[in-house]
Amino acid sequence: MLLPKFDFHEPLTLPEACQMMSEFGRKARPLAGGTDLMINMKKKIVSPEHLISLSRIDELKAAQCSGNMLKIGSCVTVAELTESELVRKNCSALCTGAKALGSPLIRNLATIGGNIASARPAADLPPSLMAYNAKVVLKKSSGERLVLLDDFFKGPGLTELQADELLTEIQIETPPPYSGCGYINMGIRKAQDCNIVNVASFISLDAPDGLIKTARIIMGCVGPKHLRACSAETFLIGKKASEELFAQAGEAAMKDCSPIDDFRGSAEYKRAMVGVLTKRTLAMAYEEVRSEN
Amino acid sequence: MSQYDVINSRATRIDSQDKATGRAVFIDDMKMPGMLYGAILQSPLAHAEILSIDTSAAKKLPGVKAAVTSQEAGLIKYGVSPARYDETIFCYDKVRHVGDNIAAVAATDLETAMAALSLIKVEYREMPAVFTVEEAMSDGAPILHEEYPRNICAEVHQEFGDVETAFKECDLIKTTSFVNKRQDAAFIEPQGCIADYDLSGTLTLYSSTQVPHYVQRTLAMVLKLPVGKVRVVKPYVGAGFGIKAAANHIELAACLLSMKTGRPVKMNFDREQVFLHGRARHQFFHTMTTGVKKDGTLMALKHECYLNGGAYSSFGIATVYYAGSLLGGPYRLPNMKYDGYRIYTNLPACGAQRGHGGVAARACWEQQLDMIAEELGMDPIDLRLKNMMVAGDVTCNDLNMSSLGMKECIEAVKEGSDWKNKKGRLPKGKGIGMACGFFVSGAGYPIYRSDTYHGTAVIKLTEDGGTALVYTASAEIGQGSDTAFAMIAAEALGIPLECVRLESGDTDFGVDLGAYSSRQTLMTGHAVKEAAESVKLQVLEVLSRELKIPVYDMDIKKGVIVFKKEKPDFSGLRTRYIKEHRGWTDNPAPEEDLSFREASRIAYLAKGSIVGTGKYKPPELGGKFKGATVGTSPAYGCSAQVVELSVDMETGQIAIEKMTDAHDCGRAINRTSVEGQMEGSVSMGIGEALYEEVKFDDKGRVINADLAEYKIPTALDMPHVETIIVESNEPNGPFGAKEVGEGAIMPTIPAILNAVYDAVGLRIFELPLTSERVWTAMKIRAKG
Repeated sequence: MLLPKFDFHEPLTLPEACQMMSEFGRKARPLAGGTDLMINMKKKIVSPEHLISLSRIDELKAAQCSGNMLKIGSCVTVAELTESELVRKNCSALCTGAKALGSPLIRNLATIGGNIASARPAADLPPSLMAYNAKVVLKKSSGERLVLLDDFFKGPGLTELQADELLTEIQIETPPPYSGCGYINMGIRKAQDCNIVNVASFISLDAPDGLIKTARIIMGCVGPKHLRACSAETFLIGKKASEELFAQAGEAAMKDCSPIDDFRGSAEYKRAMVGVLTKRTLAMAYEEVRSEN
Repeated sequence: MSQYDVINSRATRIDSQDKATGRAVFIDDMKMPGMLYGAILQSPLAHAEILSIDTSAAKKLPGVKAAVTSQEAGLIKYGVSPARYDETIFCYDKVRHVGDNIAAVAATDLETAMAALSLIKVEYREMPAVFTVEEAMSDGAPILHEEYPRNICAEVHQEFGDVETAFKECDLIKTTSFVNKRQDAAFIEPQGCIADYDLSGTLTLYSSTQVPHYVQRTLAMVLKLPVGKVRVVKPYVGAGFGIKAAANHIELAACLLSMKTGRPVKMNFDREQVFLHGRARHQFFHTMTTGVKKDGTLMALKHECYLNGGAYSSFGIATVYYAGSLLGGPYRLPNMKYDGYRIYTNLPACGAQRGHGGVAARACWEQQLDMIAEELGMDPIDLRLKNMMVAGDVTCNDLNMSSLGMKECIEAVKEGSDWKNKKGRLPKGKGIGMACGFFVSGAGYPIYRSDTYHGTAVIKLTEDGGTALVYTASAEIGQGSDTAFAMIAAEALGIPLECVRLESGDTDFGVDLGAYSSRQTLMTGHAVKEAAESVKLQVLEVLSRELKIPVYDMDIKKGVIVFKKEKPDFSGLRTRYIKEHRGWTDNPAPEEDLSFREASRIAYLAKGSIVGTGKYKPPELGGKFKGATVGTSPAYGCSAQVVELSVDMETGQIAIEKMTDAHDCGRAINRTSVEGQMEGSVSMGIGEALYEEVKFDDKGRVINADLAEYKIPTALDMPHVETIIVESNEPNGPFGAKEVGEGAIMPTIPAILNAVYDAVGLRIFELPLTSERVWTAMKIRAKG
């Protein structure tokens, strides 16, 4: 398969990149790792006239923690996420998701921004990011806005991003004390797979051995975008964590998803797996709470 | 210590440095001056009449040098078996599957060639299509090939002994059915080739193939050229697994385009086209009924099988025969009845893949044997040992087990896996299972009926005597055959491996049927050994004359002449050798033994070039019944495997944790290569058992035609494989060697099926065992 013809741009600064995005608009696509975009271009699913490479813009490649805010540049690679002490310490489930993504070769190229902006309902990073209540910075020449990741996804391949905007940064408030998060992705085989179902669960307690104060459960592959298991979350609030409770939350989550039959699996199976993975990721989250005490 | 100096070791492969550093040349690395790029137009419809094809716009596109259809290609039919030549280079009356071939173009670059394809106008009249065996055989179904009513491409009806009478004497009769899914072999290198028709009228095709010889013959026949004007050269090849064991459309189209343009033409399949070309494992529907005595004695097997063949025959006739004949062993089975049907459907053709025809049948039967063992209250290993053949036994369908280390394999895996402490004693969700299998060590007959040699070899000594040049037309496709033959040549000649240089994969080097049916080590190995022995004898004969010592009192070992009796005075010969090499600084010192190099230089001075040739063909094998040739072989490799796995009781996911694998390869030429084949087979077997399935939509289009959605095991899915090499010293093999290439896959799937039963108490009769299939089975059971 051959790539279609396109003009290649390599801006050195973010303002320059924003300028190009505003100039070319829908005719342009930003190029980060390219692991998704290049395939779609070869398959002629998209044929942008302009590719704007973000790989030379250093400010997009940094991850740092200031105060209680973890800021990750959109061009930080997935491999870097797996190795970052900052990420592992503050957002272990994001690290788990990064390790689950693709193969070492893919992880060396793929970026956190690309995994979010491509908006694939099976993607490995959004569930934990949403569980951590992450926000994304969308930038254009005339300014920038901060959008909750929950509100960013609109459907498969569809996002809040405007034609002239770039996703430049992911912001995560460092989790409060007595909190934990777990992520599990399930495919046909152990790696390099498109997930059948993936789930991330975050809980925080009001005291070291207290009641659940906050719960966020995000389900992938079971709707047009990553979904919140709202009734499961509500069910957990104010209750004492237990295996039994998590199993019940799993049952509730099964009603919160809307999977479809496709060649990767039946809706019935995906729904059942949402139940299992919800239970298991909640247990992982609780395990993390306890291990930090 | 091995009695051998070169073979039976772990010598480094002769191609490993080239491959590790990227110096090895594959088709995609090759370029020729003036080379054009070809592309092939393939049908978007599964079944349609071709009303017209118009290439005029494509031909006018600047950069396009030729566009060809059946008009230019002609209508000569070809295929694999002459009994079913049912393909032409390009379709002329109708297309029979999505991806069927219609036209090809050659242009100065690939972009232009692809653009030209889009300018070819084809008018179709779409026809109803059949995709399943049931649809294809139903009354009034559309017919793919007019000569084959009900779309029956081939059928087999065989009975050995008397099954019905035997059933009357049985204490237990068990019937099960089983179905696998269509496979893709997922080799790493898609098919590709460069055709070069030169000014002297010689056609050279460089191709990623397993069978230069068969490709040569097909090119000559279809393009109407003398065989002597067609040369097929195989560069390094990134595997084939059976799919590259016949000429393909781009090989023929590239040759035709080169002949039209007078320029080299390169063509490649992309990954989707690999799936559209197909030719990998069929989908088989088996129903087997086995009868046994109370004590476990196997009495009879009644077996019916339907194969979804796809649109053309490819290897299919052999496949439908193999599916039956390969159950003749390795157990003593006095009565066997087989009815097999291969059915044409509007899907890409299926063909041969590792374990040709026998893999699904073996899975079905070995699972059934486990069920029988359980009902009889026997350990499944005991049931197998009770019925196991031994060397010298002949199956009811006339396959001769000239060596059979099956019992040793079973005992090795039983011991190696600690079977007796695990079987039936593992916690719920964990399971252990075993199975056996055997396979031909080279098909007993060529694909076309012929008295041809199956392999020839030439060994020539360089004039300085230091190096033996080995030439065979065999096909190194990643399995390590080049290394095996270099080792065999070195061993037989008595020189170190470093003194052998080997060239292979070129029809100019001789006749070799190629890399399929696990034949090369035994067959080409014989030819190479014979050539090496001839060379050795020629050198020793000259020495014999010079030194007045009988040939049989001398030998060559480790590059040195061995005098079995008194060491003669060879200083005269040495002086002559040194005179030939004035100025050389590495001439032998007086106290050194007489070297092979000196001896062969003396032989060259006496006789000119020292050239030895070797050849091999099997003796007449098999019975006299129809189809008796399929399954015959000069030898049979066999294996046993024990798999340990866990099943996630909530998700149905299977994790293969350990594999204990014993294979009888007769004699290991290269122990590391044998283990490589065993581990590779396990990987392929796990993929077929757990993940793999080529899927189609309702229009016959492949929906997972890439390696992202067609799931083969990754490194992370591979368990630890404990490999145990069993050496039975096959009397018909060179140095006692026989196959390990395909037979090694046989036990993997049924061992997994049996281990899943041990883990969760469920028998599953359909592959692949995806987590969803296992979960569903558990759920159905829970509902009662």
